[in-house]
Amino acid sequence: MSKHLKYLIIALLALTACQEEVFLDLSRVDPITVIEATWTDNASMNQVRIIQSRDYYDTTAFTKIEDAKVSIFNEETGQEIEFAFFEPRKVYLPLNNQTAKIGERYRLVVETQEDVFEGSGTVLEPPTLDSITYEFKEERIFREEGYYVKVYGKIPFTEDNFYRVRVIKNDTLLNRRSDYLLFDDSFGTSILDNGFELSGFVFGQNDRVRLELFRLNREMFNYYNQLVSLIFNDGGLFSPPPQNPESNIKSVQNGSPVLGFFLTTPFVTASVTIDEQDE
Amino acid sequence: MRMKLSVFFLVLGILIKIPPVFGQQTMVTGVVIERESGLPLPGANVFWEANREKGTVTDVDGRFSLSPELGLPQNLSITYLGFETIIRSIGPKDLNKELRFFLSAEAMSLDEIVISERSPDQNVKSMEIGKDKLPIATLKTIPALFGEVDLLRGLQLLPGVQSAGEGTTGLFVRGGSADQNLLQIDGAPVYNPSHFFGFFSVFNSDALENVDLYKGNIPAQYGGRLSSLIDVTFKEGNTEKLRGEGGIGTISSRLSLDGPLSDNSSYFLSARRTYADVFLRLSGDEDLNQNNLYFYDLSSKFMFRPSEKDKITFSTYFGRDFLGLSEQFGFGWQNFVNSLVWKRNINDRTYLDVSAYHSRYKYDLRFDDEDTGFRWDNTLSETGIRGELILMPRENLRINTGIHSQLYHFAAIDFRPDPNSAIEPIESNPRTGFQNNFFVAATFDLNSKTSMEAGLRLGLYQQIGRGIDYIYENDNPEPGGPILDTLSFNRFQTMKFYQGLEPRIALRYLFREDFSFKAAYNRNFQYVQVATNSSAGLPIDRWVPAGTYIKPIRSDQFSAGLFKNFQNNLWELSVEGYYKDFRNLIDLRQGANMLFTDNLETEILTGDGWAYGAEFLLRRNLGKTTGWLSYTYSRVFRKIEGISEGLPYNPRFDRPHDVAVVVTHEFNKRLSASVNFIYTTGVAVTFPKGTYEVDNQKLPVYGPLRNEDRFPDYHRMDASVNLKNREKGRKWKGSWNLSVYNLYGRKNPFSFQFTDILNDQINFDQSAGIPVESRRPGVVMTYLFSIVPAVSYNFTF
Repeated sequence: MSKHLKYLIIALLALTACQEEVFLDLSRVDPITVIEATWTDNASMNQVRIIQSRDYYDTTAFTKIEDAKVSIFNEETGQEIEFAFFEPRKVYLPLNNQTAKIGERYRLVVETQEDVFEGSGTVLEPPTLDSITYEFKEERIFREEGYYVKVYGKIPFTEDNFYRVRVIKNDTLLNRRSDYLLFDDSFGTSILDNGFELSGFVFGQNDRVRLELFRLNREMFNYYNQLVSLIFNDGGLFSPPPQNPESNIKSVQNGSPVLGFFLTTPFVTASVTIDEQDE
Repeated sequence: MRMKLSVFFLVLGILIKIPPVFGQQTMVTGVVIERESGLPLPGANVFWEANREKGTVTDVDGRFSLSPELGLPQNLSITYLGFETIIRSIGPKDLNKELRFFLSAEAMSLDEIVISERSPDQNVKSMEIGKDKLPIATLKTIPALFGEVDLLRGLQLLPGVQSAGEGTTGLFVRGGSADQNLLQIDGAPVYNPSHFFGFFSVFNSDALENVDLYKGNIPAQYGGRLSSLIDVTFKEGNTEKLRGEGGIGTISSRLSLDGPLSDNSSYFLSARRTYADVFLRLSGDEDLNQNNLYFYDLSSKFMFRPSEKDKITFSTYFGRDFLGLSEQFGFGWQNFVNSLVWKRNINDRTYLDVSAYHSRYKYDLRFDDEDTGFRWDNTLSETGIRGELILMPRENLRINTGIHSQLYHFAAIDFRPDPNSAIEPIESNPRTGFQNNFFVAATFDLNSKTSMEAGLRLGLYQQIGRGIDYIYENDNPEPGGPILDTLSFNRFQTMKFYQGLEPRIALRYLFREDFSFKAAYNRNFQYVQVATNSSAGLPIDRWVPAGTYIKPIRSDQFSAGLFKNFQNNLWELSVEGYYKDFRNLIDLRQGANMLFTDNLETEILTGDGWAYGAEFLLRRNLGKTTGWLSYTYSRVFRKIEGISEGLPYNPRFDRPHDVAVVVTHEFNKRLSASVNFIYTTGVAVTFPKGTYEVDNQKLPVYGPLRNEDRFPDYHRMDASVNLKNREKGRKWKGSWNLSVYNLYGRKNPFSFQFTDILNDQINFDQSAGIPVESRRPGVVMTYLFSIVPAVSYNFTF
């Protein structure tokens, strides 16, 4: 948030508004299976992570499920891609570093001791990411002083225009709640044609910037939007009633609840290093 | 349709088929005026000395008419609490003309006399059930947040009226949501009655003459909203001399002027403005002094009496809010409301009220940026004309009948990117509704103890062009589902038609002069509503009219109550119960985007609801100590497929226990003090039941059911002291008001955030470079107000 807005709110409301930590006696539910599955055309991205939810105030580590049977099926060819648990990273990885094929639809099947879960999605054709430029900008409202990157590319599609951009700064994924950059074609598809400035991300000299562009299925786009909405939900008057993001994975055996997602996307990336000499 | 119309006209025919006795002109008619102000005096008692049982009470314009049943001449007595009684001999020559009676305040009376059109026993004897009156003089004594006297906050202290939380003026009446209240100024609706994101309501209290809240039996003359009518009347200027009233407060100042334009016309002008931005500009800090935050409102009313039988008023309200940051971001909204009313006294038993109005609400947002700059605004309006004939063919029979036509227009969203912006304009379509209402109501005595009010309202609504209807697969609008076809409609072409008959019946049985039973049944239809999933109204909330996919909402309310006065009407006691059924209520799908979409119907879920409750009110109206104690037990439920697994759930504003105590004591002529105490059950909310990690985020786990949890109970006490300056015989009279909101500093939660606490600090800033040494799950409560003192200086001249 801009310094301006902070000042204004401090000046007008924070004179009376206060915050403090409290303890609420929250009700509990049995642990829920959480599946986080990513399936792309890039081998380094593909993995499935399965954990169990825990009580809100619990500070112990999340329980990982290590004995599940995990597979992804190509719905067109029926080919099964098996996954195996990889102990060092506590995730399931596809055997033989297999990857998704662009344009094909896949089904995730996870069998745990309690239930069988399935989800499906299509790995859509990626848009074009041509180049990244950067420019130094002065401070102004909603914007700090620093370097800002601009992405050039082309979105040639008339449907399924649901995108997420992930920003990696010096090998660290930016994952604050304000770092989610999601867009669809509500404001047109020419957004990359003349360069799209990532106005929410400021960089300094010598920063290495890598962008990852995902083209999502609608369900996954909705999931991310609901996730961001939930992270920003303060439970106050101006927030909608909080709900878990709607998962595209469902139980197919016992109807037990499940959280998480099956992300199918093409993987497009581009990088740049902020160098003052080039400015 | 044809059958319903026939029923309507049949009832109309029966009701008006009454032996006509018009035109005989055997009535004594007159107007009672307060001598000092020149204003008409409603609620004065007028009766014959020889037969005190045969009397009447002056109406809102100070008028009365009385039959001289024992012949003339006779002595007519006019009394009003705090005024000297007038007794005048009335002879035959006084018939056929309007008599004027000037009442002077008694020398020993209280300095400020509460003028009310209520007679002391009106709550027992009238047909009114589920109706509350908040005298403006009382409103001004209630301790107020930041010292800003606020109508809607005052109404929240009445039984059956809930708030959704601290710091909001939204009203939730008997289980209805905030958009189910018809708030009208001199007959014209106000679509967003809030300033400063709902912290204050739009009205400057100095501009208000009278406020009636109908929450149970809404007479057939009124309609359009399910849950309440808040009927606000602006002040009229006096016809004697220039007068002024105003105040300098903690966050705003206000000034009102009124006086005569001629012998038979007057004006009233009132203005209020906040000055936070003025202080910001004085700051040496550029980050602060370039910002803007203000609201202001202007109210006016002009009155003309072209003849003794005619009165015309023109009322205007304009209110504007604006938030501007460094000239690069601006967000504002405004209400512009106009009403023209013509009242004609056709004869002493027939009155005509004709009004025309236009109400417009607009918001505008701008963001200056070379890449993503835009201008975004939206306007909605309602224009209407209404005619009502009031017939009193015989004593104890009153008939109201008329027609009300309304045109709603919700303009297309105007979203214009700046010329060099990479984003493209938004395309949406306007929505327009045209509604005609016919109504007839009769109030009559069945016998000496039983009275009845029976009314019928017929609403004929159509969504009309210009507009677009989308055709979906299987007629089922699903988000992202295929659109099979798009139908375009020309201007005024009918897109969808709905009709609804709304019976309104009320009954009163008088056990004794001071004890009555009342019951009522009301059906209401509402054809426009707000599509939102937050509890507080936002300036950019989207109103949607009924159409092909969105049905009008409907409520049926049954209510009954006992009304008893004690000690010669010094105390009023009432107990009312109600059950209310709602149909076709809407809520939004999870993650719905209502702001820009043209396919609103794909984002909406529809279902039903019900509410019930009991309201208890004990009120003391007279004496040095006045006020009321109210207790409400109420429950609200919604059942909407797609929410809470299709099971009934409580909306946020379901707050079973609600207590309000309001006490004002006058110590002497100069000093008075007020205290109020509020206790309510905490709002219904959804708390987490666990936690998990996904996509590098730690998220709370929620159960499948909505609003199973509660905020802690809400309670608060406020107090104020009013000290009038010593009387020095000058025209200028000043007084000081000191108020304290939340006297004992109760920390009432506004929100709870479920978040990790880093390094045991709730506001730890990771970007400051300090290493994170500890992390644990926690809950951070935000409360808006601790103890809030405020001082204001008020004056009249």
